Amino acid sequence: MTNKFSDSFEKKLEDTTKLGLEVVRESAEENLMTLSVGPQHPGSGHFRFIIKVDGDYIVYCDPDPGYVHRGEEKMCEYRNFIQNIPHLERPVIHDSTHITYSYSLAVEELLGIEVPRRGQFIRAIASELNRQVYTLYWLAIYGIFLGHSTMFMWPAGDRELFIDLLAALTGARVTHAFNIPGGVRNDIPDGFKEKCLQYVSYFEKRLKEYEDIFYNNPLFRQRTENVGILSKENAIKLGVTGSVLRASGIPYDVRKVEPYDVYDEIDFKVQYMKTCDSFARAYVPFLDMRESCNIIRQLLEKMPGSGEVRVKLQSNPKGRIGEAYKRVESGRGALSYYIVSDGSSRPYRVKISVGSFRNILALPHLLVGSKLGDMPSIYWALNYWPVEADR
Amino acid sequence: MATAPKDFRFGNFVGSLVWLIFWVIVIVSLVGLPLIFIILFYVPLPYSNGEVLTPYLFFSMIVDPTRTIPIINFLIHTDIFRAAVFPGFTFAALIAAATIFIERKFLAKMQLRTGPLYAGKFEGILQLMADGLKLISKEIIAPSGADKPIFWSSPIIYVATAASLTALIPVAPGWVVADLDVGLLAIFAILGFFPLIALLFSWSSNSKYPFIGGLRALHQMIAFEIPFILSALSVVLVAGSLNLTDIVESQYAFWFFAIAPISAFVFYISSLAELERVPFDLPEAESEIVAGWLTETSGMIYGLIQLGTYLKLYVLAALFVILFLGGWMGPQIFPQELIPNYTGEKIYNATVVNGIFWFTIKTFGMIMLILLPRGINPRIRIDILLHTGWYKLIVLSFINMFIVLALIYGGVITPAGGLQ
Amino acid sequence: MTTPNKIDDKNSKIKTFESDLPIENSLYNEISSKFHDKVQLLYVKPKRIKVYVDPKNIVEVASFLKKEIGLDHAESVCGTDYPNENAIEVIYHLSSYSREELAPIIFALSTKTDRNSSYLPSLLPLFKSVEYHERETYEMLGVYFQGHPRNERFLLPEDWADIPPLRKDFRIKGR
Repeated sequence: MTNKFSDSFEKKLEDTTKLGLEVVRESAEENLMTLSVGPQHPGSGHFRFIIKVDGDYIVYCDPDPGYVHRGEEKMCEYRNFIQNIPHLERPVIHDSTHITYSYSLAVEELLGIEVPRRGQFIRAIASELNRQVYTLYWLAIYGIFLGHSTMFMWPAGDRELFIDLLAALTGARVTHAFNIPGGVRNDIPDGFKEKCLQYVSYFEKRLKEYEDIFYNNPLFRQRTENVGILSKENAIKLGVTGSVLRASGIPYDVRKVEPYDVYDEIDFKVQYMKTCDSFARAYVPFLDMRESCNIIRQLLEKMPGSGEVRVKLQSNPKGRIGEAYKRVESGRGALSYYIVSDGSSRPYRVKISVGSFRNILALPHLLVGSKLGDMPSIYWALNYWPVEADR
Repeated sequence: MATAPKDFRFGNFVGSLVWLIFWVIVIVSLVGLPLIFIILFYVPLPYSNGEVLTPYLFFSMIVDPTRTIPIINFLIHTDIFRAAVFPGFTFAALIAAATIFIERKFLAKMQLRTGPLYAGKFEGILQLMADGLKLISKEIIAPSGADKPIFWSSPIIYVATAASLTALIPVAPGWVVADLDVGLLAIFAILGFFPLIALLFSWSSNSKYPFIGGLRALHQMIAFEIPFILSALSVVLVAGSLNLTDIVESQYAFWFFAIAPISAFVFYISSLAELERVPFDLPEAESEIVAGWLTETSGMIYGLIQLGTYLKLYVLAALFVILFLGGWMGPQIFPQELIPNYTGEKIYNATVVNGIFWFTIKTFGMIMLILLPRGINPRIRIDILLHTGWYKLIVLSFINMFIVLALIYGGVITPAGGLQ
Repeated sequence: MTTPNKIDDKNSKIKTFESDLPIENSLYNEISSKFHDKVQLLYVKPKRIKVYVDPKNIVEVASFLKKEIGLDHAESVCGTDYPNENAIEVIYHLSSYSREELAPIIFALSTKTDRNSSYLPSLLPLFKSVEYHERETYEMLGVYFQGHPRNERFLLPEDWADIPPLRKDFRIKGR
């Protein structure tokens, strides 16, 4: 067996050195074990990170994204402003409202149009519903990562309520293509408001159950408390965003800091926690969901009864020369678009800055020095969606 | 084997059935029957009720019920029947199969869904058969660098060890395959094999994730064997014997759960850890180490290991019932005679049937209790697990041992059960 | 194609100087009073301000922004290819978490480098948050950041053998 192994080992070293991965040789020399928590792994998603393990402790971590890189930014330069919406949604299919919301805001600045008030409200309602859908999905996968199958089934089931609402509103369960530059595609259907309020009040009762059964479970707390401490200074230095930032004691929410559309008329509080550990990062999205229920109620109340929902544009609008930078609070953090326009009907450059890509910088920082058993609870608590980070 | 199925034609279906019957008849008459006669020529036939039990006698007795009862009586008390059917392997395997199905349905109801629904007319009851057929038809992939003899034999050893445990469990008075004087100790001795088998299998898989999983299985099972044995010792102190039948019979006055609840609790937690069930399923932690030491199993190897796991589940639940819940003791609810004024030989024995009934009810209750934490808890981490096993559970089982000793020497309980 | 930073009088452009923005204007005044002509203001909009710096001065300006003004992290690092001017523009969008009044403001710090030999000093020693963004800019546009420990491919596949994809002479096949 040794002969068969050794001549292919040399070849393997040669290949991996050529590809720039010297970790295998180094770890063999240092008596460590290299694990590739790779795409073929139930605990990683479409993403790979290479860790070196010394017994039970992780001593090295190197994220290696790019498995679902599609070239979104390059593709945007080949399509005009409206044609960009369907493919821009694909990085985050279940939270697609936000990634097109931010794009629409930036393009509206370049085109110089203003969305009618009812359209702004509908956009905000779709955005909040989508935030619930995404956060429930995230909570479900967090349960799976910790080995808790009920924590997967219950949120996945409750998520169907909101997906039903979104399907009634936009026509599709995920990837709605609902926000376009200028407003939203269509008005809300009849009976939507009552159904929405009914679902939201049912969901608030369920949130109380989630808190009792999932978050107050002693084993869950043991697995996540004091695990992966990201102090406030480090959070600022690493530039993380979203719930990771709010779990480290910084009350930063783009909807409060830089209110876009109608968020300056809505009264809500930024949810944050000061304990900086994995439990805080798991609890802040839950608090966000509760706050989101209030926001949905206020939006439904304050919405003007009638009006246009969209600005009628020409078929191929040309953008004014200039640039625009707009951001939105998505499920994972601040999602910003930087669009440069050169006067034609296609953008010259679109740069998307997503929360996942910024948060992945915290992964090596938190994993090094922690136990292998803490890897799922640290990794998924960073609210990282691999497809969005790759764009 | 992947071909697109042709459209269903009834004529073809009937034709295939006819072919099947044809081949069965050919093989049975040309090969099977002569083989049977040759064997019977050389093998001495057993005696039943003073007559030699030839196959012809057997077939003729089926027609007349009163003449078959002695045969059945005879067959039931042979060793082969006990080991293979009841209370041995088949009984345990049926309970294991029922457990798998109940687990899926029970968990599904807890998680607000329905579980298996489509296999079989009634709520997916044939799901297990479907799964078994699926596993048999899958290809077993052995990794290229795997240690072939150990890789292929470990699952079989696993199932064999789990099945041999079922030979020690008494189900009803007088119904146990192997009535050893050191029955309890034999169970612990056989249970000590399992970490070794898990480690051998994971080592022979020649891959990193099974390696980590095997080490975790080793740590976990060894850590929890000590509180396991210590908690059973409290019961042995009261019963005064290691023989499982004697332990059950010494619970005639009260169940041992009443004086050793802490030990029962420790035994329960340790059996969850021995069975690698949630929250102690670290050796197969899916999100950290793919599937732990089961990563390289596929097809029937996986099926065998699951069968072994669920047999072990039955054994440990039955052991809990025997040690703490009074085994087969229970109020007599079956009538003494099924058919009044019947003077012939009977196979129905009221105490035995009563014992089987109560034992099965209690075992199923205990199995449900072991299945329950899967719907409630996430997985535990290895350092918390080892801390619990080595510190807390050993201390708790010692506390209960001292309580039991105090009760015995204080004169409240007589040795060999019973109140003073 | 005119670059957006040239200041023109055409009506089709976005209004780039607004005088009633106190925070943004005071920010620019602070910087220009320290660096005089090393920085050049490109535009001031509500909550957005863009400033151009030469590559040789960028580390100095960035460290002033970090230490004195309090912009502590970068939201993104964007590289844009302008083949007409033979330049690649790299913009650092900086913002602040620690200073509340600066939190809504995105400060765009831009610099240019030559297309054919594109080298820029890396801001990694100052802002840890630009690590992966600069790496992505390296692989997508070919800009080498001096001082960054890993100028390697990040999102592209391991066997990428073409020119950096976000350059304008890389055409998507079939379009």
